[in-house]
Amino acid sequence: MPSVMLAPTPGIATFLKHLKHNPVDASIENFVSLLKRRQIRSSRPCAIATTHLLLKVVATFRDRDVAKLVERIRSVGQQLIAAQPREMAVGNIVRRVLGLVREIAEDDADENPDSTSMGDSGYLPYSNLEPSGLPTHFSNFSPPKHGSALPQKSGLSQSDSNGGDDNSGQGAVAVEKQLDRRPPLLTSHTSYVASAMAPQVTSLFGLLSHPHTPSPTATPPLGTQSPVMKPGLTSRVLATIPDASAAKVDIKAEVLEGIRELLDELDQADDQIAAYALDHIHSNEIILTHTSSTTVQRFLLAAARKRKFTVIHAEAYPNDYLETHATIMQGRQKSAVGDDEDERWSPLTALGITVIMIPDSAVFAIMSRVNKVILSPHTVLANGGLVAAAGALTIAQAASVHKTPVIAVSGVYKLSPVYPFDTEELIEYGDAGRVAEFQDGEMVESIEVVNPLFDYVSADLVDLYITNLGGHAPSYLYRIVADHYRAEDVNL
Amino acid sequence: MTSRRPSISPSFNVVATYHSLLKHDRDLTMPIAAIESLILGLAQNSSTTVSETLDLVSKLTCELKSGVANPISLSAGTDLFQQYLLSNLQRARGDFETAREHLVQNSRLFVERAKAARETIAGVGRPFIRDGHTILTNGGSRVVGTLLKRAAESNDGRGSVRFRVIYVVSQSGEAEEKETIASLRGSGIEVAEIPPTAIAYCMDMVTSCFVGAEGVVENGGVVNRLGTYQMATLAKAAGKPFYVLSESHKFVRLYPLGQYDLGIEQKIVDFRTAKVEEKDGQKDEGVADLESGKVGKGCLPGDQVDYTPPKLISGIITEGGVLLPSAVSEELIKIWF
Repeated sequence: MPSVMLAPTPGIATFLKHLKHNPVDASIENFVSLLKRRQIRSSRPCAIATTHLLLKVVATFRDRDVAKLVERIRSVGQQLIAAQPREMAVGNIVRRVLGLVREIAEDDADENPDSTSMGDSGYLPYSNLEPSGLPTHFSNFSPPKHGSALPQKSGLSQSDSNGGDDNSGQGAVAVEKQLDRRPPLLTSHTSYVASAMAPQVTSLFGLLSHPHTPSPTATPPLGTQSPVMKPGLTSRVLATIPDASAAKVDIKAEVLEGIRELLDELDQADDQIAAYALDHIHSNEIILTHTSSTTVQRFLLAAARKRKFTVIHAEAYPNDYLETHATIMQGRQKSAVGDDEDERWSPLTALGITVIMIPDSAVFAIMSRVNKVILSPHTVLANGGLVAAAGALTIAQAASVHKTPVIAVSGVYKLSPVYPFDTEELIEYGDAGRVAEFQDGEMVESIEVVNPLFDYVSADLVDLYITNLGGHAPSYLYRIVADHYRAEDVNL
Repeated sequence: MTSRRPSISPSFNVVATYHSLLKHDRDLTMPIAAIESLILGLAQNSSTTVSETLDLVSKLTCELKSGVANPISLSAGTDLFQQYLLSNLQRARGDFETAREHLVQNSRLFVERAKAARETIAGVGRPFIRDGHTILTNGGSRVVGTLLKRAAESNDGRGSVRFRVIYVVSQSGEAEEKETIASLRGSGIEVAEIPPTAIAYCMDMVTSCFVGAEGVVENGGVVNRLGTYQMATLAKAAGKPFYVLSESHKFVRLYPLGQYDLGIEQKIVDFRTAKVEEKDGQKDEGVADLESGKVGKGCLPGDQVDYTPPKLISGIITEGGVLLPSAVSEELIKIWF
């Protein structure tokens, strides 16, 4: 590791070290600058760094008020996302943590007898319902509120889904259901599934439902509520919780526990995905892949232990080819730079798998011989499309011409609830000098060179997503989004 | 007709009420008019027990469905209403009377909410329209009109968007279309009017297509005015996204297997030969009904519908966000379970 004379390259390792020794705000600044300077890139390191940071943010949070905690996480999240909007993993983790906090707060609110009283202004029933309860139920099943104008600007935004939506004859039933269903947080970080599946009255009934109380403010749900609703909702609920400080400390501890589980999920994502490898890779198959993605390599390695197959690896020039060569030849060694993971894995060739490396231009030519394509996305979008390293779109289109199945492997942390209104905006551009060297004066003067780092692959080109939760069709992703994120968090 | 059902006051004609509601309020959608008619029916007939009410509602619904040529859209409203009543009554803690009172008194509120949904949808769909885009749309949808108008406005903090619109104008040239076109042009948006035959011709210059819906069916497909399927097919062939804007109360529990499986009769394809044959008044009848007073909405070419399958649809924009077609059935299951 670096001696005193050589400072380590800034990256996730330095950030984590910095986080240990410095106050939270300084760490936030550090992370923001790492993001801006692209010294920390790619989904996994960003997700891990964000989780650690949020862990510290929650741990150092002194206040008792959960609503304030939500606000704090939101503001940190906004800073991070603003630093690098294209690193969607950062936003995903922030939203996961927010969802976690809200769920814990609501579960906690349930346990208190006060909170079941619904004589209030009709806000309480919202909170008593399951996390993806009435007010936002509908939008949970959509690649929901995108990062744009809707809820803040238009006063009527969530009105129909939210407004007067508490078919409040439900209140007691809902509470009971929630208590029954309150998943012990420790079992699974995807515990939102149970609560999201409540077959309660949906917002389709929102049109007709009425608040329990005849108070005039509650009845017309239009307009007034949405901007106030989100933070107000929790704080109103929590105002009713007796201020036993034990309750509050519990919440914080539970949140910390939840975030640690999230870290575990991030660590184990690759392993869990690799567990499905044998189902999808069979003997004597020819698999096409590209870039040096760890997830794909681990996936193939898991299958290589039991099966013999061939891998055709496109080198992803000019952005990733050196890493790809290294991955093919040597696997992952304990790198001197001190990467986010210190693990080593052997190259596929060491297990007797034939790996053929091809230039990207040969993809279409070779596609007729390929049985399956495995891609590793940078981000998965809520409409089923994905953003992957440049070259993925060519591969996917070639595959669709030959009717070859395309499989995308990624952890659920890469799945973003933000609906991609403009896919052009998601593409990051890199160093043009890698395509045409700056030394080549004539070229540089007369030609504009661009080097997009990513490609947007639309949902109809992908056949299967393998995540740490299993395999899903692209048309099912909306459900996973709904299970992991809350609609009110989509707009940070 | 009504004399067979003693619980309905003989003077209440639900079909006539429905039609008059639609005529008087141009902003009303068919499902909401159906719900309002049902509510008025409830108001007129006092029913004190749960089963009496449910019975009444289902009778009114049957009458309504059989009295209107194309009941798909209104059945979304009636189904929603019935299921709402059922679920409400299942959960009511003895408070049936208040529930009923609420429904009866607040019908205005539901109408307002439904109209507000249009604004919400316009807000959700607005980011789809950006500078330099050319939007293709089928006429006749108030939601699409609202979306385009909001996008053209510059008062919501995002600035106005510079886009163009290609409007497919049908021969019947409804007043609503003309009004939307005029108001868009008034806001400085360039609008071109084309006949349906020019859709393929102009498809290359189009960025995305937006249409409304009369009903969204269970598999995520859409039932909309005739010509929508054509536009969707052409858009898919040209690789352009095709979005449907629909309020969530238009989701109907129907699973058509094809164009001719909608459960309604439309004489769109009418074979004839030169031989003179007398078919007794069978031109464009709706569901077979011997009532003479029926206007037969299906007659008018402006009311014919077709079915667009979900694989042609890129997204359904509702007030809850943008749905994938596969997400529709889940919403429906929840109210029906």
